[in-house]
Amino acid sequence: MDSSLLLSIITFAYLCCALAYFSGTIFRHNRFLLLGTAIGWITLALQTVALLLRWWESYQLGYGHAPLSNLYESLVFASWAIMIVYLILEQRSKLRTLGLFPALFAFLAMAYASFSTSMDSRIQPLVPALKSNWLIAHVITCFVGYAGFAVACGVSALYLMKGASGEQPNPDSQRFLGRFPDLRQLDELNYQLIMFGFLWLSIGIITGAIWANSAWGTYWSWDPKETWSLITWIVYATLLHARTMRGWRGKRVAWLSVVGFGCVLFTYFGVNFLARGLHSYAAM
Amino acid sequence: MRQTSSFWQSFYDQLASIKLTVITLTVIAVGSLIGTVIPQGLTQEQLVEEYGPRWGYIMDLLKLGDLYHASWFRFLLLLLCLNLVVCTLRRLPKTLKQIRYRDQKVEPQKLSQFGHYKRLESRLPQEEVVARIEALVAREFASIRRVEAADAYAGVAERGNWSRLSVYMVHFSVIVILLGALVGSMLGFKGMMNIVEGDTASRVNLTGSHQTLPLPFEVRCDHFDVSFYDTGAPKEYRSDLSILENGQVVIQQPIRVNDPLSYKGVTFYQASYGATLVSAEVEFTERETGKTTKLSLPFQKPVALPGTPFQVEVVNYQENVRDLGPALGIALLKEGQEPMGSWILAKVPNFHGNRLQGYQVKVVDFQQAHYTGLQVKSDPGIWLVLTGFVLLLVSIGFTFYTSHRKLWVWVSARNPRKEIHIAAKTNKNSLAFEREFDHLLKRLQDELQVKQGETRK
Repeated sequence: MDSSLLLSIITFAYLCCALAYFSGTIFRHNRFLLLGTAIGWITLALQTVALLLRWWESYQLGYGHAPLSNLYESLVFASWAIMIVYLILEQRSKLRTLGLFPALFAFLAMAYASFSTSMDSRIQPLVPALKSNWLIAHVITCFVGYAGFAVACGVSALYLMKGASGEQPNPDSQRFLGRFPDLRQLDELNYQLIMFGFLWLSIGIITGAIWANSAWGTYWSWDPKETWSLITWIVYATLLHARTMRGWRGKRVAWLSVVGFGCVLFTYFGVNFLARGLHSYAAM
Repeated sequence: MRQTSSFWQSFYDQLASIKLTVITLTVIAVGSLIGTVIPQGLTQEQLVEEYGPRWGYIMDLLKLGDLYHASWFRFLLLLLCLNLVVCTLRRLPKTLKQIRYRDQKVEPQKLSQFGHYKRLESRLPQEEVVARIEALVAREFASIRRVEAADAYAGVAERGNWSRLSVYMVHFSVIVILLGALVGSMLGFKGMMNIVEGDTASRVNLTGSHQTLPLPFEVRCDHFDVSFYDTGAPKEYRSDLSILENGQVVIQQPIRVNDPLSYKGVTFYQASYGATLVSAEVEFTERETGKTTKLSLPFQKPVALPGTPFQVEVVNYQENVRDLGPALGIALLKEGQEPMGSWILAKVPNFHGNRLQGYQVKVVDFQQAHYTGLQVKSDPGIWLVLTGFVLLLVSIGFTFYTSHRKLWVWVSARNPRKEIHIAAKTNKNSLAFEREFDHLLKRLQDELQVKQGETRK
């Protein structure tokens, strides 16, 4: 069995995982939620194997690099990072109902990687600019940060859904949304996840800067991806300041979290369509 | 207050305002965004060509073609930096005062107003209650400092008092990084050096200007090599460099992308490569008379065309023009006249464009050489920047994962039921702290239920 077959199975498995979490929240059934958790952990383990297998395959081809070198590989890693961040959060908070969005994001990332016609899923050799140990440090830290923000966005979406229904009591939506943790807990989780994401995004930007300094002699060149990562950083820094200094809570913070994740998505995908900067290999 | 001082005061107030922060951040974000949409590094002509005369003119006025280096963008960055400094300086004394603050008095009425508060009772003697509370709180949280209280026992325990300074470290680190960037841009330089294999050079073409800068030593490119994968993708660019001082080799080292060479604060990065011309044998045939002159032309050195008032010079060279192979840019020069030039295809002698004024031009032979393109940089501010990076990450970690937590205890001396008031506060109002407080209370209740004389299990 090779890594690409395994990755196709994983795409399907994350869909099942998202469906299980969805059924669990809709039908108010703990068994479905437990099923979601179980599928999540098993798929994550499989995906870890697939990533390692792909790493090993690249050595077999004589290229020998970590599977973090192009858009396809980064999408696979992004879904891995989202799921591991979420499942650890679930383990610690014992809140299974938050799984819908993270599982959905993980599935969408895998589906985009697997089904996009323009996606090159072959293992390619590394171009000279990427031949550095900073590659692993930079990509992993950035994507752990993105994963934190993705899960935070999911939590904020739940907050906004629940908050909106709270104003106009509706027995049907209450049945569905009543299963989610209370608003204060969601707000708190959002904040925790954003702090986590912010720390990792900062490490990601800084490892990128140090790498750029050793490859090109400049730690900052206003390349579109750099610029957008800075905009993203500023949006989340604003959120953190609004919360601690201005006492913002709840809805406004949830909206900012969604906007911040929009910036993350633009940094990740949007920039690829804009201009070919220093990060052009991430678009291939 | 005098007029001037109130002016400075209001200026200072403006600099510290959150409104200024929001406005500058928004403009910087929108500006950066525009810079990622409009291709950067375009000249005024290119802007006009791309966006039409009116928009091109406006965009050039706002320097949108090189936005990140425009003075207005730099000014906004500076303004943000000032705003950060002033805001931080304003809050710092308050925080320091809070850190040094020690409670002199604890009153149960005040404690009951805290968000985290609990009232307990116990029938044990006061000394026993106090001893048990002090032991438990010291074990679970922090040791209690006694505070004066009328007819009662009172104490305060706190943790992470100094963690309130970590957010100042975050701001300080950002300033250190920006300061490092400033030092680098003022005292350092950045440029390119193209060195032909075997040649020695010591002048750097500075980026963003037409000036060159002499280095206090010489660089020789001994060899350049590019290797490819089976797929055709480049595998490695490598230059073997020698550093020479007074004609003596002091260092010999290969450089690759991601593996630069540093000497005396100047770093050389593998950036590009290309081919250049050494010399060419060129035949000029007068089309009217059919008279042919053959000349040997060194690259970029004018040579007289015998029997005419003209000089000829190979001014430019391209390794491959539109897949038609190498082309030589040859110019006909005459004093007091505009030079006339034309691209001559070396490998396509019958190309209709291989003519220059009245001459048919034919490249008989030419020698090319490879050059390596080195990015050259000196950045004395880099250590400040790197220090700032480390400080920033450490202090963000501390800011997020430490907090100031404080606990107040008050125990009445009245018999027979001792009233116990406990309150707590944190600078991060988190659910985690609520759980910690509840856990502590539970342990305390268990502790106080043990009868006097019994040993704790």
